[in-house]
Amino acid sequence: MRFAFILKIATLILLRSWRTTAVLSFMVITAVAALVFLSALAVGTNDAMIRNSTGLFSGHISGSGISEDEAARLQVAGVEQVLLRRQQPVILSSSSSLEAVSLLGIDPLQEQTATAFWKKTVQGRYPATGSQEIYLSQESAKRLKLQVGDNVTLRTHQSVALKQLTVSGIYKTGISQLDQGLAFCPATALPPGGQELSVALFLSAEAPIDEVLSTLRTRLPTASFTPWMEFMPDLKQLIDLDYICMAIVIVLVFAIVSVGISCTFLIFTLKNLREHGIMKAMGFMAGDTALLLVSQVSLLTVFAATVGTLLGMLTVAIFAQVGIDIGAFTSHNQYFSVSGMLYPRLTRLALFTPPLVAMVFGLAAAIWPIVTIIRKNPADILRSV
Amino acid sequence: MITISSLSKQFVSGRGHVAALSDISFSVEHGRGVILAGRSGSGKTTLLNCIGTLETPDSGSIICNGTDICGLNARQRALFRRREVSFVFQSGNLLPWLTVAENLQLPLELNAITGADQLYRIEELLDTFGLAGYEKAMPAELSGGEAQRIAFARAIAHTPSILLADEPTASLDSDNGRQLIELMFSLCHTKGMCLLIATHDQELLGMAETVIALKDGKLLPPAPAPIG
Ligand SMILES: Nc1ncnc2c1ncn2[C@@H]1O[C@H](COP(=O)(O)OP(=O)(O)O)[C@@H](O)[C@H]1O
Ligand SMILES: [Mg+2]
Repeated sequence: MRFAFILKIATLILLRSWRTTAVLSFMVITAVAALVFLSALAVGTNDAMIRNSTGLFSGHISGSGISEDEAARLQVAGVEQVLLRRQQPVILSSSSSLEAVSLLGIDPLQEQTATAFWKKTVQGRYPATGSQEIYLSQESAKRLKLQVGDNVTLRTHQSVALKQLTVSGIYKTGISQLDQGLAFCPATALPPGGQELSVALFLSAEAPIDEVLSTLRTRLPTASFTPWMEFMPDLKQLIDLDYICMAIVIVLVFAIVSVGISCTFLIFTLKNLREHGIMKAMGFMAGDTALLLVSQVSLLTVFAATVGTLLGMLTVAIFAQVGIDIGAFTSHNQYFSVSGMLYPRLTRLALFTPPLVAMVFGLAAAIWPIVTIIRKNPADILRSV
Repeated sequence: MITISSLSKQFVSGRGHVAALSDISFSVEHGRGVILAGRSGSGKTTLLNCIGTLETPDSGSIICNGTDICGLNARQRALFRRREVSFVFQSGNLLPWLTVAENLQLPLELNAITGADQLYRIEELLDTFGLAGYEKAMPAELSGGEAQRIAFARAIAHTPSILLADEPTASLDSDNGRQLIELMFSLCHTKGMCLLIATHDQELLGMAETVIALKDGKLLPPAPAPIG
């Protein structure tokens, strides 16, 4: 028998038993839509953690061993912003105490557009461009017993006084690497002396970090570049874990959904048992029956998975606009140090995994009904139904 | 021509071993219509199912057009059903999700009769059965008599050599039943098919050229043939 005709019968069965078709589709549509959204949410959560972690201070790639005139060559495709930071070890001294810090000379305007560090100000404000101001962590300020507006003396490690800066603001990030041993001032306010240049590169959301890295490494072979995955291995692991959890959820959901499809589809085919008996009496072979049922399930899952994917995309599009605020649950979480907003984002994997898994499980769900129908003797079917 | 020799079939059921058919032998020629008479439980359905390869007998042989169909494997049996034999059951013959025309299309597709030939045959069948204009009707919209006529039309669409009708009139009133049986006999005659109709309806017996009577799975001796 022609495949086209079997496909036609399969389509007609689905269309003319539309109530059953609707019930079966509904299960798949909901599952696919929910999983597309969940996958996009997982991507969005990971995005948010990366954005929060890199956007506070470090950027996506940190570079060192770069000279001042080489810095212009860091603007490669995918790099949104390059921040130059000059680092100088100094001793901060107040009337009551001493504190050894790494003083970072920054460009306050650029820092404020690229990073969220200024939002961590607990008192005062971020240093102004061209000023002789210093921005201290809360811990340092406490140890030095300094307030906003106080002066602090910068000394070398041999205790030679270099210059004085005024405290413009005090910050607290909650991340110990940033809250201890660091202080900031405009680069122009740094005392003369040995400075080390480091760069922080901020990439656009979709930029492929591996490609950017390899471009940078071929352009500046003597410099050293470290991606966030290496200087924040904990975050990298957390994100990998997130993806594994997501994969498990997808498989579990579909295992459950496919049991549902299988049962419903079995009831559906058993409801048509007599018709299958008639078709067998007319000379349908096992292969024809199998093809008919496989076509039914395939058509159904293709349709339902498409609708489900579109529905999922729509939901993602809506929530990508408005965002999801989980700030209440993340205020003490270092991976969400800047904001608790999630913006679900569709990647190819997030978009195509749920419908593909739906089709595979849909076909698996057809096996049971197919075997049941094929093994039934038509004489028994026609006698009993 | 169908030649049945020493056919036996037993079932094992809650009642123990039931001899549904024991040592049945007879033959039917092409173009002949036979009525299988007998009370419920006498083995009529089992006999038709054996001839139609839906059931395999325990012993004996059924020679159809020169081959013993009892020796066929599952695939060959399906092909035999597809080409050579058609069934009309008591009711529920039509596939409910297909229109009348699509139902008629089914045996033609199964036998690779497609295109213009297919369309022509469907039209011709509907004309013959007085059901022109019913192409797009769904089975649920037909009366019992119409549905059985369509089932019969579908059964002969691909001109099989054997037609097996198991109580085809049981769900019809007696007028409709008689009309259907008459139509079956006359068409089988013109098309040269072997026709076997199983029925427990005594009224229909007079319509047949040959009546084969079954009782408890055994053949009853034939009634003396009318002289003339
Ligand atoms: N699959 C089966 N299992 C057990 N018993 C059966 C089966 N099929 C038929 N029988 C028995 O065989 C006998 C003949 O049945 P059947 O051929 O259906 O008779 P009829 O069609 O004349 O009413 C009955 O006693 C019936 O109960
Ligand atoms: Mg019967």
